Amino acid sequence: METEKIIEEFMPLFAPKTVAVIGASTKGTALPNVFIRRIREFGYEGAIYAIHPTATEIDGVPAYKSLADTPEPVDYAFIAIAGAQIAPILGAAKGRLRFAQVISSGFGEVAEGLELQERLVEAARAGGTRLIGPNCLGLYTPRGKVTFTEIGSKETGTVGIVSQSGGLGTDIIRRGFSRGLKFSGLVTVGNCADVTPSELVEFYLADAPTRVIGMYLETARDGRRLFHILRNACASKPVVILKGGRTKQGQTAAASHTGSLAGDERVWLALSRQTGCILVDTLDQFIDVLLAFQTLTPRPRHPLKRVALFGNGGGTSVLATDFYARLGLDVTPFDQGTMDELAGLRLPPGTSITNPVDCPVGTLQQEEGRVAEKILDIMYRSGKPDALVMHLNLSAFAGRSKPEVLDNLVKAALRVQEHYPGQAHFLLVLRSDGEPSLEKRKRDFRAKAVELGVPVYDEMSNAGHALAALQAHENFLHRRAVPTAAAVRT
Amino acid sequence: MDSNTIIAEARRKGRAALDEAAGKALLASYGIAVPKTRVVKTPEEADAALQGLRLPVVVKVVSPEILHKSDAGGVQVNLASAEAVREAIRTMSALPRIRDALVEGWLIEEMAPAGQEMVIGGLLDPQFGPLIMVGLGGIFVEVLSDVSFRICPITRLDAEEMLDELKGAAILGGARGRKPVSREAIIDVLLKIGGENGLLMQNENDIQEADLNPVIVSDDGAIAVDARFILTHAEVAK
Repeated sequence: METEKIIEEFMPLFAPKTVAVIGASTKGTALPNVFIRRIREFGYEGAIYAIHPTATEIDGVPAYKSLADTPEPVDYAFIAIAGAQIAPILGAAKGRLRFAQVISSGFGEVAEGLELQERLVEAARAGGTRLIGPNCLGLYTPRGKVTFTEIGSKETGTVGIVSQSGGLGTDIIRRGFSRGLKFSGLVTVGNCADVTPSELVEFYLADAPTRVIGMYLETARDGRRLFHILRNACASKPVVILKGGRTKQGQTAAASHTGSLAGDERVWLALSRQTGCILVDTLDQFIDVLLAFQTLTPRPRHPLKRVALFGNGGGTSVLATDFYARLGLDVTPFDQGTMDELAGLRLPPGTSITNPVDCPVGTLQQEEGRVAEKILDIMYRSGKPDALVMHLNLSAFAGRSKPEVLDNLVKAALRVQEHYPGQAHFLLVLRSDGEPSLEKRKRDFRAKAVELGVPVYDEMSNAGHALAALQAHENFLHRRAVPTAAAVRT
Repeated sequence: MDSNTIIAEARRKGRAALDEAAGKALLASYGIAVPKTRVVKTPEEADAALQGLRLPVVVKVVSPEILHKSDAGGVQVNLASAEAVREAIRTMSALPRIRDALVEGWLIEEMAPAGQEMVIGGLLDPQFGPLIMVGLGGIFVEVLSDVSFRICPITRLDAEEMLDELKGAAILGGARGRKPVSREAIIDVLLKIGGENGLLMQNENDIQEADLNPVIVSDDGAIAVDARFILTHAEVAK
């Protein structure tokens, strides 16, 4: 579909001017009542209507008997009412409702609900309404000031999400929020009876604020369409897919070798290889990878290969080197020239300068942490890695250094990063033992760092997965040699 | 014969799959090399059938009831004379699993030159449509499942990456003193099967599964020695 057309079609969903709720109770306890409260708190200032058989007002919003009676046509309706009542309500809208999100369940996800779902789709189509769901939780769109969750940034970000699971959608918003992810939108699509994940990906690809797309999928009935959309997009925006149910074996009735070897896993791998989308296995990886794409600018002209590690913790460095190697990241020692320069700093004994560069807390504390700047400068200028991971074990600093040492270390790293613009991706790993005061410090750091464009990870492995995804994306673009917005920015 | 005629003929006979001769005709119609082939009904036709074929030949049973010909004893190789062909047909006819089956004839074909065995497959996925698969033959496919899949249509770059993805890829380049085989020839077959105007895309309503097993690749070409095509259920087809 053309860019303007899909933006025009879906913008009323992402920035609705009028919202209706169906299923709000006069007692104020039903889900739609909560929804009214949430969007008001979130800052929604457009018209809100309730559709109710008898009430004239619910929770301070005017109520009407039918979607045909509202003063203005409705862009988005939040519907949580007994399943059988919905089709007639949608049927009465007669072109006056753009999007209906049906939260109610008991449709296509159970055998006895299949027919009800068909009737729902027919009623929506007849009324000119696009249906989202049923069997989902809602929508989170900071630009439209509409949300179904109580937590989440009010600021419009760059990460666009479509989730087939409502609960996981909530997790993505909440965990993403605490990790510094900022969303351009998140739609839970449930049974996908009408609007499909592929359509929303098409929207996000066309949508200017969105720079990275994440999908949680369980089934892809329109897999072929998804393939075409992603293939045509040629990874112009990174697409990260968390796919449930990938290990299911291939068709049991297969009569050929090919049939018996095919399985969901193979198809998704093929999709990833052909379109450059990134497959992840866990929610943590999903968020880790989205965070990398949100904060770092891919450099397809110079795909990521060499990674330098810098921080405190010898064992941590060794384990990370192994782990990164298995992911296809190259953590080889610096050449002699670089090591000679580092040796020239005359760092205290116990400091390793090969790559990984491993400094005990004593070394990092020198000059209130400013010695780190000298080390990092040599690592960048002479070592020229494609990515640098700085890891700090907060527990090892506890009680041994002034609080500003950590600040100084991170600031030093950012200053060095600025001296060598576009040279290396910079990631920060803040390790801690879960002790509350360290956790708080970590949280504060994380917020600051993400503002400055630095993704922060809990462990080396998390940062490794993020780097591997970035590498896959850069390699894909490099091999296809397609100029993208990202390439121009570099 | 074009692909529509070949498939329509099998549908008319109520077949769930193409027989080997029809499968090879289908491949030939897409420009894929197959061995020179004749079909005979009786051993007595062997002399005439061998005219114009290069010896030695292979003889295989043709029966809609026998899907796995080798398992039923229905394949004999390296036959160097008309007498040997006649004897092979008589011997195979007497085997219990062949005697009890509906035998439509015997396929006589030239033996392919030596080379690396590959498997190229196709599958109609209910969500993603036609898929193409490639792997090295023998244990690589059967024991190690060392294959790569792509969604059709594939591009040349896709075909190249499919080969690179195989764990046994080095063998194609001539690992351990072997002669390298023609990657170009494999890529050519992959594109003819799974490319934009390939066999799988143009027959996606009809072909449920395909196995070209083996495809023998030498340093200058690839030839599909055996081919099995399973048709979609008639009600799914147009």
